[in-house]
Amino acid sequence: MAAPLVLVVLVAVTIRAALYRSSLAAFISERVEVSSPLNAWKRVVEGLALLDLGVSPYSGAVFHETPLIIYLFHFLVEYAELVFMITDVLTAVALYLAIQDFNKVVFKKQKLLIELDKYAPDVAELIRTPMEMHYIPLKVALFYLLNPYTVMSCVAKSTCAINNAVIAFFILATIKGSAFLSAVFLALATFQSLYPLTLFAPALLYLLQRQFIPIKLKSKSFWLYTTQYAALYLCSLVVIVCLSFFLLNSWDFIPSVYGFILSVPDLTPNIGLFWYFFAEMFEHFSLFFVCVFQINVFFYTIPLAIKLKEHPVFFMFVQIAIISIFKSYPTVGDVALYMAFLPVWNHLYRFLRNIFILSCVLIVCSVLFPVLWHLWIYAGSANSNFYYAITLTFNIGQILLVSDYFYAFLRREYYLTHGLHLTRQDGTEAMLVLK
Amino acid sequence: MAVPVPAVCWVRAAAALLLGCCGAALASGVQDQAEQFFRSGHTNNWAVLVCTSRFWFNYRHVANTLSVYRSVKRLGIPDSHIVLMLADDMACNPRNPKPATVFSHKNMELNVYGDDVEVDYRSYEVTVENFLRVLTGRIPPSTPRSKRLLSDDRSNILIYMTGHGGNGFLKFQDSEEITNVELADAFEQMWQKRRYNELLFIIDTCQGASMYERFYSPNIMALASSQVGEDSLSHQPDLGIGVHLMDRYTFYVLEFLEEIHPASQTNMNDLFQVCPKSLCVSTPGHRTDLFQRDPQNVLITDFFGSVRKVEITTETISLDSDSAGFESKLPKDDLATEPLKYAEQLPVAQIIHQKPKQKDWHPPGGFILGLWALIIMVFFKTYGIKHMKHIF
Repeated sequence: MAAPLVLVVLVAVTIRAALYRSSLAAFISERVEVSSPLNAWKRVVEGLALLDLGVSPYSGAVFHETPLIIYLFHFLVEYAELVFMITDVLTAVALYLAIQDFNKVVFKKQKLLIELDKYAPDVAELIRTPMEMHYIPLKVALFYLLNPYTVMSCVAKSTCAINNAVIAFFILATIKGSAFLSAVFLALATFQSLYPLTLFAPALLYLLQRQFIPIKLKSKSFWLYTTQYAALYLCSLVVIVCLSFFLLNSWDFIPSVYGFILSVPDLTPNIGLFWYFFAEMFEHFSLFFVCVFQINVFFYTIPLAIKLKEHPVFFMFVQIAIISIFKSYPTVGDVALYMAFLPVWNHLYRFLRNIFILSCVLIVCSVLFPVLWHLWIYAGSANSNFYYAITLTFNIGQILLVSDYFYAFLRREYYLTHGLHLTRQDGTEAMLVLK
Repeated sequence: MAVPVPAVCWVRAAAALLLGCCGAALASGVQDQAEQFFRSGHTNNWAVLVCTSRFWFNYRHVANTLSVYRSVKRLGIPDSHIVLMLADDMACNPRNPKPATVFSHKNMELNVYGDDVEVDYRSYEVTVENFLRVLTGRIPPSTPRSKRLLSDDRSNILIYMTGHGGNGFLKFQDSEEITNVELADAFEQMWQKRRYNELLFIIDTCQGASMYERFYSPNIMALASSQVGEDSLSHQPDLGIGVHLMDRYTFYVLEFLEEIHPASQTNMNDLFQVCPKSLCVSTPGHRTDLFQRDPQNVLITDFFGSVRKVEITTETISLDSDSAGFESKLPKDDLATEPLKYAEQLPVAQIIHQKPKQKDWHPPGGFILGLWALIIMVFFKTYGIKHMKHIF
């Protein structure tokens, strides 16, 4: 399957190169949906320029990247376009390999469950075959590389691509089963932007599953493995943070990066939910609401872990989606990452209920973003409420997508174990409802 | 023979004397005429025209001011000597069905906006503070010339104000007021600073007479459109534009001024009669007690126009010799006058000499070492040494 992948990669690279050369590049890099204060390329260049002048890049409120990005781009700033194209390609290849492995795992598990007679007799049409799963990794790579969101993110040279690459490598390492690498990449992802911390749970669950360690709170091996993994993760995080200290010999980057992500001081409009609220909030309440909004991102981990402990990769998908909806400065690059996973859940198609409305909402909102931005900022005939309405609708669409997939997934699992034709106690046909 | 000679001499002397007397009388007649040149005492004219009202329904105040502006310009006062303050823009108001026009008569007969209007203070710049600063000359040094009243002690100034007023005050921009006391004090400041020769103050607002009650400086003549307790009313509305186009008093003043041309000898008494109660409904008032000259002798063009007095005569007129000519003593240049060379004034040597380039920042060696050591360690841990395989 290497040839089609190479073809897809070539097409993607061509598109990106063509866009870089066109006049659209400048326009796209200015869009607030694509570049946020956290990952705008302008700010990276500014930070490097400040460094050349002998000033710490964290001294103003301009630069919010981690020192490793400084190191990476210090030598590569002239080749930035190439770097971002390579990053995108690496992400796609990592996802491709990860999903290939994952499919094997899924198929093995399915075979095991069939042999153990765990499935109900009439669910033949729900069983997945290797034939239908053959092209899924290619589709994943395709979805990621040719997604307009990813292309725009790459053309804008937003460092979201690097974040996505690290998360993709983390997923690859986890699915391959290497706890050490998975911990290292998770630490890197957490170091880059704080929120992948929540991916600790699904990664742990997957690795436990792979080691055939049952997830019981009383089990000693469970706790042993958990502490091992957590120790690996924390140690690598500490090592990376301390290493970053030595780049500039100061701890300035911690308030600039993590303080910025957590306290949301910059209220530039983006596709997220934070900016509008905090623009109109009284100072008195802002601390409280910042806490509430930030807890919202981390809050879903434990309930999802309890519900989805048998399906950690799906849990990972839902968690990534939740991060990209509720994080403080989301961009369309974050959205592109979890959208790349959609082909993996192709088999849920018959259970999805909101496909049409979802696709309409997402497409229409994506088109309306620049329109209402223009109306608000340039024409002056709209105001921030219009733009926020579209932001809200877009996020509602995303939440609807996540919950739809969640429902479809759980419904399929239920059907697998209880049979397709559900009947109530009195014999009439029953319907599964997500409560 | 002595007797007839003296007689002829006497006759000749008498004739000469008579002729001399006649000549003197004639010469003094021309002298009088010549002195008439300087009777009015002013050498230049200024006009300060203020409309203080904002919003579309106060269209008529802008039309009032622009009518006076038009007349004053037509009679010769140039834009450089007119300070025009309009608090709102009617010509380009979105509600104006005829953009770029301000009409003063229904059926759109007279467009007082024209295409050469120069507004000096527009929109929110028309404030009480700016108005008083213009009058008293206390303006920040950055103010452009067109926004200054650069009058001197030989200037006749026409001040026309219109808007909404009450007993003792005039409303600016719907948010602040100027009182008659403030206005009187401003005029006193102008007098003390010798900023005017004579001042004509016209006000077209409700209870306008209250605004000139408090004046106490000399050489001020004031006219108002209504007495205290009376309202100044507007003239007809125009159904096409939808608002009243002008106020009655200014409408009739405009009609009156349209008859005036730069050479007319119409005097102020005619201006006082302009709007009788039958036409104006309110009673216009005037105040001349502070004015030195008799209004009969004051020409309209003394204030409304900028008339150069030219009279052609073939007589020889001897003027009083001026007091000693001004010998302005220029300060002697004490500085050395040898020319400075360009090179000596600029530190050319310093400019040519290149500054050392800023050193680019490089990551510290320790960091690079640590980072790559870690990367290599991770690499070997995952792919390398065989006995670490249980982690993979």
